[in-house]
Amino acid sequence: MSLKPENSPASAAETLAGNPGSHSWVRVAMIGRNWKVTLVRTVIWAVITVIIFRVALVRVEVIGISMLPTCPEFSRYWVNRCAYLWHEPRRGDIVAIRLAGIHEMLLKRIIGLPGETVAFADGHVLINGVLLNEPYETNSCDWEQPPETLTNDEFYVCGDNRTMPQQDHYHGRCTRNRIIGKIFK
Amino acid sequence: MKVVFQLAVVTLLTVAGILLWSYLFPSPQHIIRARLNSLAHVASFNSQQGILAGFNAAHNVGDFFSTNVEVDLDMTGNPDVTLTGRDQIVQTVMRTHATLNELKVDFPDLNITVGPDKNTATADLTIRAQIDGDGNSVAEEMKFTFQKIGGQWLITHIETVQVLT
Repeated sequence: MSLKPENSPASAAETLAGNPGSHSWVRVAMIGRNWKVTLVRTVIWAVITVIIFRVALVRVEVIGISMLPTCPEFSRYWVNRCAYLWHEPRRGDIVAIRLAGIHEMLLKRIIGLPGETVAFADGHVLINGVLLNEPYETNSCDWEQPPETLTNDEFYVCGDNRTMPQQDHYHGRCTRNRIIGKIFK
Repeated sequence: MKVVFQLAVVTLLTVAGILLWSYLFPSPQHIIRARLNSLAHVASFNSQQGILAGFNAAHNVGDFFSTNVEVDLDMTGNPDVTLTGRDQIVQTVMRTHATLNELKVDFPDLNITVGPDKNTATADLTIRAQIDGDGNSVAEEMKFTFQKIGGQWLITHIETVQVLT
């Protein structure tokens, strides 16, 4: 002889249904064949979701025009915070750079890597004196900047919109610990 | 089951005790954080605010600063600004009220470090200002230096932190 508790999920579903057999699929759909397994699975998925959307990914909205035309103003992207766990940032990556925290960040493209010398001449980027190929740059500009050598912990970042006056465009060297992650579109 | 219940009660009491303690004896970080949030609230205004209210708010903002405060702002695309003394801060805030229709200030990120003497502290923070409600906001990283004067944490120095050099 077996006893089933009155408040068990199965008995509740059957009572509500009035017909035990025809509504067993509702119970399976709602809580699975084994409610303990379903509970564990739910907790695991909740933890994974929190990790992904709180730790690994950050949603950002672009404010400002310094990344035009690649990232238009008010467009939204995800920042992958795990992008640089296994390798260092690379040239051409669009990265998020933190201020005091991650609620406000700068969105810039890496053009210079640690140890390199970066200069602007007649609107073109020179890395160690060699012209940098920038297919994302569709407009010409007249920026000029004397060579700057980066330390082993610094990257040179700049927006894509070089049609802006150079003095209004926030660009320069940033340390590795400020780079939060890479955006993906 | 009884042990579990006792453990739950002990945990609950411990948490309640910690919360009560932190409420009755707040840490310097907690006090400074609260003051900065108050400063953001007082510095913000909307288009409905009248001249007298603006005058009052400007003086309230001044209460957060020491008399010999120094402010050095160096923001890209804007001329450098240097203010010295509480009176200049108050005048600047009054001018801002006269010039702008609306200003919303907040500090979305705050990292507060209290000095070993427990009388000085620095706050590395992001300040975000939304001007005239146009949807565009300006964000800068700044360093606020605090000193405990007369039992109150007052701002003695503000400077812009250059994220890109």
